[in-house]
Amino acid sequence: MMTVIIRRNEKRSPNVDLSDVFDEQAGTISPVIYSDPDIYQMELERIFSRSWLFIAHETHIPKAGDYFSTYMAEDPVIAVRQKDGGVRVFLNQCRHRGMKICRTDSGNAKAFTCTYHGWAYDIGGNLVQVPLEEQSFPGLDKSKWGARQARVESYKGLIFATWNEEAPALAEYLGDFRYYLDTVLDASEGGTEAIGGIVKWIIPCNWKFAAEQFCSDMYHGTMSHTSPITAAITEEFPALDPTALSGFQFRASNGGHGTGFFEAPAGTSWGFRIVQAAGLVEGFDPEAAHSRQAAHLGDKRGTIFSQHLSIFPNFSVFNGASTARVWHPRGPNEIEVWAFGLVDKAASDAEKEQVRLMTLRTFSAAGTWEQDDGENWVEVQRVLRGHEARQTKFNIQMGAGATRNEGADFPGTISNAYAEEAARGLYAQWFKLMSDEEGTSSKRGAYVHAAE
Amino acid sequence: MPQNNVATNTQLPKAIVSPELQQEIEQFLYFEASLLDDHLIADWMSLMAADIRYFMPLRTNRGPRERDREFSGSRDIAYFDESKASLDLRLRKLQTGLAWAEEPPSRTRHMVTNVRITALANPTEYEVKSAFLLYRNRAETQTDIFAGERIDGLRRIESVAGFEIFKRHIHLDQSTLLANNLSIFF
Repeated sequence: MMTVIIRRNEKRSPNVDLSDVFDEQAGTISPVIYSDPDIYQMELERIFSRSWLFIAHETHIPKAGDYFSTYMAEDPVIAVRQKDGGVRVFLNQCRHRGMKICRTDSGNAKAFTCTYHGWAYDIGGNLVQVPLEEQSFPGLDKSKWGARQARVESYKGLIFATWNEEAPALAEYLGDFRYYLDTVLDASEGGTEAIGGIVKWIIPCNWKFAAEQFCSDMYHGTMSHTSPITAAITEEFPALDPTALSGFQFRASNGGHGTGFFEAPAGTSWGFRIVQAAGLVEGFDPEAAHSRQAAHLGDKRGTIFSQHLSIFPNFSVFNGASTARVWHPRGPNEIEVWAFGLVDKAASDAEKEQVRLMTLRTFSAAGTWEQDDGENWVEVQRVLRGHEARQTKFNIQMGAGATRNEGADFPGTISNAYAEEAARGLYAQWFKLMSDEEGTSSKRGAYVHAAE
Repeated sequence: MPQNNVATNTQLPKAIVSPELQQEIEQFLYFEASLLDDHLIADWMSLMAADIRYFMPLRTNRGPRERDREFSGSRDIAYFDESKASLDLRLRKLQTGLAWAEEPPSRTRHMVTNVRITALANPTEYEVKSAFLLYRNRAETQTDIFAGERIDGLRRIESVAGFEIFKRHIHLDQSTLLANNLSIFF
């Protein structure tokens, strides 16, 4: 058991004692990590400023000048398609007095002009115009006062960025998780595209409840989501017995990523999704869609359905619907969910419509499944207002010691679908980063990001 | 430069409907709201026509040149894009008694006002615009307030209620939804 007491910069906050908050051997977790404001401030620095964070899908910004305003944790950033086809991600903060330089959600821009004093930045984030420059800032070297740039890389349609110059390349960061991520991103020739629209909503809960559930928790499904499952049972699509389903969970060997899924009994994969969408879209051929994906994947991943996954720290996908989302942290007690739909580029219009309807009717703020997740996390968070509740450890033991390698034709560290191995992986990565002061911005002395 | 759009919205409707029709439709909207607030969801659902489209688009912050893209389109994700069949699925979910986001149910109050009626080409159909304020309180202290506009299509039929609803477009006056879910109807 690791015991670490972290002494924070004395000027900025009191010491935070992280000893004993996560004990993988004992299978316990202290709920103080979901509610403590000092731990949250440490997370912003040690987790979010050091990890690769999801920004947007490539198809959100296809043309030069297309921009998408989003956040890296609490920091507002703008992702912009460049004339050379690349993407830049920079802080949405004017270098003069810190006003946002972009106040709209998305669109196409030739420049970003601060509405406070008028400093203007080009689509690469370079400072190009300062009002009354001769009188007000004679001799200003504008090349030194561009918007703060993040490091940007893409993986199969997903754009990520990080503030960490020492982070491994994105592909290495994802590591052996890519095999399971490709079930979503590379299930057909040409990969995926985003369905239009970002559903944004607020859930008063800690970001780790959401990230952990999508990483590891198949177990909650039959209880939390019993109502939409029961409501959709028909003669044509009778109930699937969850205890009879074969399913697996995967804990990435590194990095805190995780996934879980069922193996679909023949013919049930699309059937389940169609009843949850309340019907088959005219012209959609589920058999053809299934065959296309199974052939392209070319191995046992063609049988995967109802796959949940999280990329550490705060990006998740549920491929039972086709929803991808970021859990933007907003203090220890709140998140903003930003969710969008993913669909194969190779899909027919009818298939795309089927996926659109299925996704918005199940996994969205109004979704028949997602409604109940929000209810759970809000109630858990409220309980943690209690002092005694915060000192009462949670059990995170499911499936401990029951992993196997290369199991059932699925590579890596594999558990049964009902396990918390991937959650333990997520918290192990969290604990590792929180316990390591090296490379943090305070250690680098990077609080003042002065012009070079 | 783009024009401020005030000028195009200041026209009065071409024909103002009779006070009798105005009152009849307003009374129908109040009746409908009372069914939701009294948790008579199955009765409320019976007012939805077989060809209902129940649609609540997303809403975004756009620059002046792209203001016409404020609302998400019909091929985009929406909060709601429902048919009669999918509304019925939502009703059956509630009826399981295991729909935790509405068990125990939210307390709601649907307030409907600013009702403007336009006769459509089909003499039995009307377009009805209204403003709404929807208060929700649930569990111990959770409280949400939603405001917006509804653009309804009403069809006169032989029934106790007198009308059925074949279109409900809901424009919520929020961009980032300030509630943890939308487990209620508008």
